[in-house]
Amino acid sequence: MEFYLFGELIVLPTDVVAAWVSVILGTPIVLYWLTKKRHWPVIWDYATSTNHRKIGTLYIIFAILFFFRAGIDALFIRLQLVTPENQFWVFQGDKYNEIFTTHGTMMIFFVAMPLLIGLMNVAVPLQIGANDLAFPFLNAIGFYLFLTGGMIFFAAFFFNAAPNAGWTAYAPLSTYEFTGGPNNNYYIFGLQISGLGTIFAAINMIVTILRLRAPGLKLTRMPLFPWASLITSFLILVAFPVLAIALLLLQFDRLYGATFFVGELGHPVYWQHLFWIFGHPEVYILALPAFGIFSDIISAFSRKNVFGYTSMVIALALIGMLGFMVWAHHMFTVGLGPFANTFFAITTMMIAVPTGVKVFNWLFTMRRGVIRIKTPMLFALGFIPTFVMGGVTGVMLASAAADMQYHDTYFVVAHFHYVIIGSTVLGAFAGLYYWYPKMTGKMLDEKLGKWHFWLFLIGFHLTFFPQHLAGLNGMPRRVYDYTWEDGVFVYNFISTIGAFMMGASMLFVIWNVYKTHRPKKENVGADPWDGRTLEWYVPSPAPEHPFEKMPIIDRRDALWWAKQEGKPLPVAEHHRASPVSIRTVQPFVLSVALTIMSFGFIYGWLWMQIIGGAASLGFFVLRAFNDERTAVYRKEEQDNEQ
Amino acid sequence: MKILVLLSFLFILSGCNLRVLDPKTQTASDQAFLIYLSFGIMMFVVLVVALLFIAFTVKYRETEKNRHDVPKHEEGNRTLEIIWTVLPIILLIGLAVPTVMITYDVSYIGASSDDNAVHVNVTGEQFRWTFEYENGKETHKKLVLPEDREVIFHLTSKDVIHSFWVPKLAGKIDVLPGEENRLKVTPEETGTYQGKCAEYCGTLHADMRFEAEVMEQEEFQAWLNEE
Repeated sequence: MEFYLFGELIVLPTDVVAAWVSVILGTPIVLYWLTKKRHWPVIWDYATSTNHRKIGTLYIIFAILFFFRAGIDALFIRLQLVTPENQFWVFQGDKYNEIFTTHGTMMIFFVAMPLLIGLMNVAVPLQIGANDLAFPFLNAIGFYLFLTGGMIFFAAFFFNAAPNAGWTAYAPLSTYEFTGGPNNNYYIFGLQISGLGTIFAAINMIVTILRLRAPGLKLTRMPLFPWASLITSFLILVAFPVLAIALLLLQFDRLYGATFFVGELGHPVYWQHLFWIFGHPEVYILALPAFGIFSDIISAFSRKNVFGYTSMVIALALIGMLGFMVWAHHMFTVGLGPFANTFFAITTMMIAVPTGVKVFNWLFTMRRGVIRIKTPMLFALGFIPTFVMGGVTGVMLASAAADMQYHDTYFVVAHFHYVIIGSTVLGAFAGLYYWYPKMTGKMLDEKLGKWHFWLFLIGFHLTFFPQHLAGLNGMPRRVYDYTWEDGVFVYNFISTIGAFMMGASMLFVIWNVYKTHRPKKENVGADPWDGRTLEWYVPSPAPEHPFEKMPIIDRRDALWWAKQEGKPLPVAEHHRASPVSIRTVQPFVLSVALTIMSFGFIYGWLWMQIIGGAASLGFFVLRAFNDERTAVYRKEEQDNEQ
Repeated sequence: MKILVLLSFLFILSGCNLRVLDPKTQTASDQAFLIYLSFGIMMFVVLVVALLFIAFTVKYRETEKNRHDVPKHEEGNRTLEIIWTVLPIILLIGLAVPTVMITYDVSYIGASSDDNAVHVNVTGEQFRWTFEYENGKETHKKLVLPEDREVIFHLTSKDVIHSFWVPKLAGKIDVLPGEENRLKVTPEETGTYQGKCAEYCGTLHADMRFEAEVMEQEEFQAWLNEE
């Protein structure tokens, strides 16, 4: 579509027009509905809260919204690839490059990460007997930074400037010379801002887990989800600053003509090293929390303690550590030479050992147990074979010389969808069904949950299994077209059918949530699943300051043993100074300032950069002189003295 | 579920003519060997996990009878832990040794062993390939190679990163700006094979294809000398 605005010719592809039309039509309807149902007080309550459960819920809600957006990208990709020489809508050439870039980037940074951080927010403080995260205000900031980054990235498409250099944004393609325009600036600022939020969340999680555990809850008595969160947070703390540096260098290359990744002095491979030194630990940042969730769920629904607890913790730590030593296995074809290639091949294979230990420990947790097949457990059961299939193709890919055949083909696409969907997405769904009562007080419907699971899992395998074969038959990734002679039509066709099954399964999630909240049902009790860990000790939904009196923990799964012996958990006499939840609009203000600054940089408008930058800096200065916790801490200390 | 099983059989049968597994050079055969080897080892792992998984979920599923049972507490089992730590290590060594050997074999190190080798300069640019022979002959869509004679590719890019890939001849190698990568193959069978750019390089990445035609040596010489 072409038209003149203020004398300038504007060309808009029809998909962007369609998006604008649906937003313009949809917004008033949503606003009317919210007003009519009187939801505004609830929204205001969540938007200004610093309570961990509410912030966690917000993370999850926005992650799922972005999930639908990135999922629709995926369906468009599959429609374009359904037959050879296909012309679906506008998705050829650059348009196709834009949707696979936004699909990948959003799924990783604005779906998988916030889903897991959201679940950590909800569950970790409750599992360790903390009243909130150590820094509730910082937590709210972290959430708003994620939302700001996500929204900036999301907005790119509406201005017909979606990033188009792949989620890996390899230089020199991502430099100004080859992809001019604002497109990839959106990528830089979207990730930079949300990445900062992720770092804050990690710091918060580390301090909370190290400092705020209930009395007697030694690290060696902690459930595995907090353990996984702790190790993941350390990974974030090391990996995300590397991404921040890489993005900053790329920003200088793009905006100010620096030559870090091009020219005589720079080198395009520097980007790949920086990106993958971040990027590979990122894979474990996504997988480890899911491992933690599955460990807790498999144990709870087998009515048994985790088999080999110590080796489970050691395996988590080993995977995290080895995760930093394998980045160049993404670069076997760059020509680093056989020494580097075999070194990274061997370190990569080593990761299979602790991962295998975990798989067998999960299996043996179920052995001699009583396996209750509820929706969360169903997702955990689906996870084991799916993830193992992704894991073994990972070992195949680690074999450096063979990887030269697999590299950048659909075989790799199949592999990483198997591991990321197999662990992170199934894990997040399992966690969502498991902790939904703790978040809202209601149980999600079992029958619809099972529909969701089976459609999703079968659709998933239909989509991604054939892609292994397409890759082995020579189909490179990131192509919008292939020919009949390529012999990959059948694989692609089946893949598209599977993708729509996965899409359909997500409709059951919407229906399920709607059905669960439709009649005003009573809240379920504190412990609807007959759980083992401390979150099932507090009411559902978890109130603010759930542990007025701290429970005393004398062993692993203390709640379970207390229930077995028919005695309540012993509690400490004094309550301890706890993080304080406040109402604040400050994070929202920072969010607006950063959005202004980012758009200033994305479009190169200096005045806007100055206004937004000054506002953000001013915010930090003002904040440095404010601490609303002082009064409350003083009061609690006085209470303890009396 | 039956359909799934049937489909997977079809897939395995169609595996015989998958391009990556239909090698026409020693390099590609070595790589195909590694693929088969790793696949075999890994299928063993999948099988073990699948058997345990099915056995445990069937046997220990909640039923009317065991609904109120409380399973015995079980810390772990040292023997089992050692088995599933050591066994994978042995399997991985079985894969790592050939991986190291073949990775060294397929990498181009130092000078060519063959004085008679054909040298081809390969230049990638958005969005076409240029193949330049020693006598100055240039082609774009078609790469012609002699049978049973060593070919050394000197690869470089004019703009962004590309990747040179003819699945039946060898695994891919990246084509970088400002740097020369090399790849050595000896085609063993005449025929026409697909070649593609395998590193995402921009708008028309999908169209950056070529054909590699392997001919008998005399035919190749004649082709090389014709205008």
